[in-house]
Amino acid sequence: MSERQGIRYSRRRVLQATAGAVAAGTLARHRALPASASLRQEAADFDWQRFKGEEITVLLVTNSRSDILVQHQSEFEELTGIKVNADVVPEQQQRQKQVIEFTSGNPSFDVTVVSWHVQKGLFGRGKWLLDLREFLNDPTMTPPDYDFDDFLPSAVTFSTQPDGTMDTLPLFTDYWIMYWNKELFEAKGVEFPTTLDDVVAAAEALHDPDNGIYGFVARGLKNANVPVWTCFMQGWDVKPVDDEGQLQTTTEAAVEAATYYQRLLRDFAPPGVTGFNWNECQTTFSQGTAAMWFDGIGFATPLEDPEQSKVAGKVGYGLQPAGPVAHHSGMFGDGIGVTAQSNKQGPAYFYCLWATNKVNQARFLAAGAGSPARASAYNDPEALANLVVPQEWVDTLVASGQIGLPSLPEIVPVTEFRDIFGIALTNMIEGADPAEELQKATEEFQPILERSLQS
Amino acid sequence: MVTTQHRISWLGRRQARPGQPVSSYSRRGRYLLFVVPAIVVTLAVIIFPWLYTIYMSVHDWQVGMPRIYIGLENYANLINDTRFREAVWRTFVYTVFAVVCPTVVGTIAALFFHQEFPLRGLVRTVYLLPMIATPVAIALVWTMMFHPQLGVLNYLLSLVGIPPSRWIYDQDTVIPTLVLVETWQWTPLVMLIVLGGLASLPSEPFESALIDGASTFQITRDLTLPLVMPFIMVAVVLRTIDALKSFDIIYTMTQGGPGTASETINIYLYLQAFAFFRIGQASAVVLVFFVIIVACSLVLLWVRQKTRWA
Amino acid sequence: MGIASTAVARKPERLAAVHLRRYLRRIGFFLCIAILLSPVLFVFFWMLSLSLKPNVENTAYPPVFIPRHPTLENFRAVFEKSPFDLYTRNSVIVATASTLLSLILGVPAGYGIAKAKSHGLALFVLIARMTPGLSYLIPWFMLFRSLGLNNTLWALIITHLIIGLPITIWVMMGFFEDLHPEIEEAALVDGAGIWSAFRDIAVPLARPGMIVAAILSFIFSWNNFIFAVVLAGRETRTLPVAVFNILTFEQLVWGELAAAALIVTAPVLVLTLLVQRHIVVGLTAGGMKG
Repeated sequence: MSERQGIRYSRRRVLQATAGAVAAGTLARHRALPASASLRQEAADFDWQRFKGEEITVLLVTNSRSDILVQHQSEFEELTGIKVNADVVPEQQQRQKQVIEFTSGNPSFDVTVVSWHVQKGLFGRGKWLLDLREFLNDPTMTPPDYDFDDFLPSAVTFSTQPDGTMDTLPLFTDYWIMYWNKELFEAKGVEFPTTLDDVVAAAEALHDPDNGIYGFVARGLKNANVPVWTCFMQGWDVKPVDDEGQLQTTTEAAVEAATYYQRLLRDFAPPGVTGFNWNECQTTFSQGTAAMWFDGIGFATPLEDPEQSKVAGKVGYGLQPAGPVAHHSGMFGDGIGVTAQSNKQGPAYFYCLWATNKVNQARFLAAGAGSPARASAYNDPEALANLVVPQEWVDTLVASGQIGLPSLPEIVPVTEFRDIFGIALTNMIEGADPAEELQKATEEFQPILERSLQS
Repeated sequence: MVTTQHRISWLGRRQARPGQPVSSYSRRGRYLLFVVPAIVVTLAVIIFPWLYTIYMSVHDWQVGMPRIYIGLENYANLINDTRFREAVWRTFVYTVFAVVCPTVVGTIAALFFHQEFPLRGLVRTVYLLPMIATPVAIALVWTMMFHPQLGVLNYLLSLVGIPPSRWIYDQDTVIPTLVLVETWQWTPLVMLIVLGGLASLPSEPFESALIDGASTFQITRDLTLPLVMPFIMVAVVLRTIDALKSFDIIYTMTQGGPGTASETINIYLYLQAFAFFRIGQASAVVLVFFVIIVACSLVLLWVRQKTRWA
Repeated sequence: MGIASTAVARKPERLAAVHLRRYLRRIGFFLCIAILLSPVLFVFFWMLSLSLKPNVENTAYPPVFIPRHPTLENFRAVFEKSPFDLYTRNSVIVATASTLLSLILGVPAGYGIAKAKSHGLALFVLIARMTPGLSYLIPWFMLFRSLGLNNTLWALIITHLIIGLPITIWVMMGFFEDLHPEIEEAALVDGAGIWSAFRDIAVPLARPGMIVAAILSFIFSWNNFIFAVVLAGRETRTLPVAVFNILTFEQLVWGELAAAALIVTAPVLVLTLLVQRHIVVGLTAGGMKG
């Protein structure tokens, strides 16, 4: 159970980091002034320019983290003399492109971002990415101030394959939280709910469709909706696929979580929620028409922008609600790695180092673009001073990190899993029986899972 | 204007045009040389995909896995796959409505646009714009109009006292809604073809009908419509092929959802190929799909032939 | 209309009533034209309206129809956030080149098929139209990869031939069939070869047809979405793909979405209005789309 260990570990690190925020402010200044003279000396000796004049192509996913990387790209180009062509593509097409290009045997990109929660198994099986351990241990390739130990152990676990291969560097982790509309809650005098049962009660109290107010919103769109259900399932401490690779999707916990999902989305969500992905949910919530929205923590920035959002300054950030058995926070994450077939592995690796360095990680935090994978970012006074989101967001982020647990199974056919169970969940919103739908979906998915395990 | 009809009728029977010298065989052969470059290029571009698809359809190959020969198992899987069978059924339902609605509206529109009125040319062209506009852009605007809370369509409905619809966001309304967009987009095509038919009609029967004192409605029903029927059938054939293959609009607006409520064969194919990367299975879908399209077209051409001779 | 007016000249005393009826029918007629046109106009109006309004007005309820604070900010944002100028350039190159190639190959082919009355080949064109476009994508990707053409505009130009060539052949067949054969026959009798009869006589006469074929294959190549989704890379992406990419991540900014939609579709709409006469003729003859 390395995962568990990882979480315990991460809690310690984060607590340390938070506690140290005030006392050890100096430590956080390391990027401007390296802490020790010897480190500075070694860092100065490091030859960033050894691949000067090379050109690499980087495949990123459209999101606010990639925006930051592209925005500061010239910083990398000046440091290393390497020219970067960044291709930023929406998630769906990016995943498609990766698979097609890797399969064809000669990808057009040297660096790519990988969603661990969807692609880890697939990429591991295909050995599409370079094992970075050799580079990490090579002092001519990795500068001493990169400080690998700064990464949260949970993120390191996430970015390491079961066989120990490290084919990505941790880029960020994402936790699911409950966004809530403080104004609506105060108007009705409702307390923010911390358990699954209380969420239903609060949604019921705030639901007022005649006045265009809905108690709750979350993804209903097939495929995208599966994490909502698997996160709820964590409240019963059950994973959709257990550590032996057995499907747990017809267990009592799975059915209860699905029934719960059905209740919230059928009774308290706006009409048409079966077609909602996170962006429709975000639109609804930012219009002030939903009291609660359950989704990833990285979607906060536009909510706090008064140009785009009617709820700016009124958003509360709460933890994923606790279930009857356990309290976790659904965890997702991305890594960044080097294409195994690339003939520019060195420069590509340098880009990965830069993308995951302390400065960029702190930038992620300041922009509210998701949770950095490095402990030092939470400790960075400049980042904390320049937050575009409230301090409450950071607090929730840190607290989520303490109870984080991957929510999607680490299997190869994740896409099929999400598709098949996503359809079942959508059908439930339309009124189908949860137990029956899960039974049907499990029967459909079982052979696909077995086939993927055979090879 | 008659050319479309001629061309389609070639498929049914050979026709010789009176008053045209018959080319000798040798000259015919030399004329065919003109076609060779186009044929060579077309084959070069499509022959490999076809062979590849046929080859893959008898293999079990998912990206990243070894490729195994499995004979016709992919086809057997399709027959046993409820989701595929539902997609086939859904495609037929969708196609029937996406053919009938534009055909009816387009024929009515053609009857109107055939009349003389000021600015007729401009009005006809404006009416064509939906089929010219980029489908992705159009789908995007419709998606915004369909938004259940903020969309302009529900507002317009509320003005005339109709309760809001969930449009593409509900399993029961998604197909009718997509048909609505498809109708909006492709009615102009039907209008054009029927318009071409109307322009080619002889004037004598109409004059004698007028002398007999027939009303406009009677003339339209008993004379005009039967005479343009062959053109309407051409429109039906083309529309059927396109509706069966409809992709851009459905993919951009719903990606087959909610659930699988708008998952047609083409969307199912896309999922198999580009979401699950089951290339072997997807290849079998392609071949079955192609057979369905050809079969539907042949049936319609046969029906058309029947109506012609009746 | 003509039918009614000639048929009713009967008794003078009924003339006033007849006039009234004609007048009412005329109004009814224009009302019907308006009803037919209104859905068309409304969708385009709404696209324009969304693209010119700030976001606050776009998500207001009840909706704002005429922009209260019209702005070009949405267009500026689209060009600033992604290289739309590059995508526009790509779209222009791909559509133009594939159209030219389609003409070079398709005009002689249309001539040959029309002259030889080769019905089998006409059927072949129709079959190309029946094949689902999706089925080409994976094989093409593999093929272009091995030829080193992936992420080049050539890959797109070649694939867009599948759209433009059948349109061109289909339209040109119609025009060459309608040409009076006597003129060519005369040239042939004079000893000119088939090729020069084609080049010197048929082609100049069929110029209107070529214009129509070119416009149509340009438009349908421009609109094509699915080929470029898979085959285009960072440098070669076309406008429809770029617009779709905006759609998938920024639901909040309706103004920018509408602006992007307008940018991609405006060129073909304007082109259509400019050459309206040709388009009506060409589409009637061809009855084609991609």
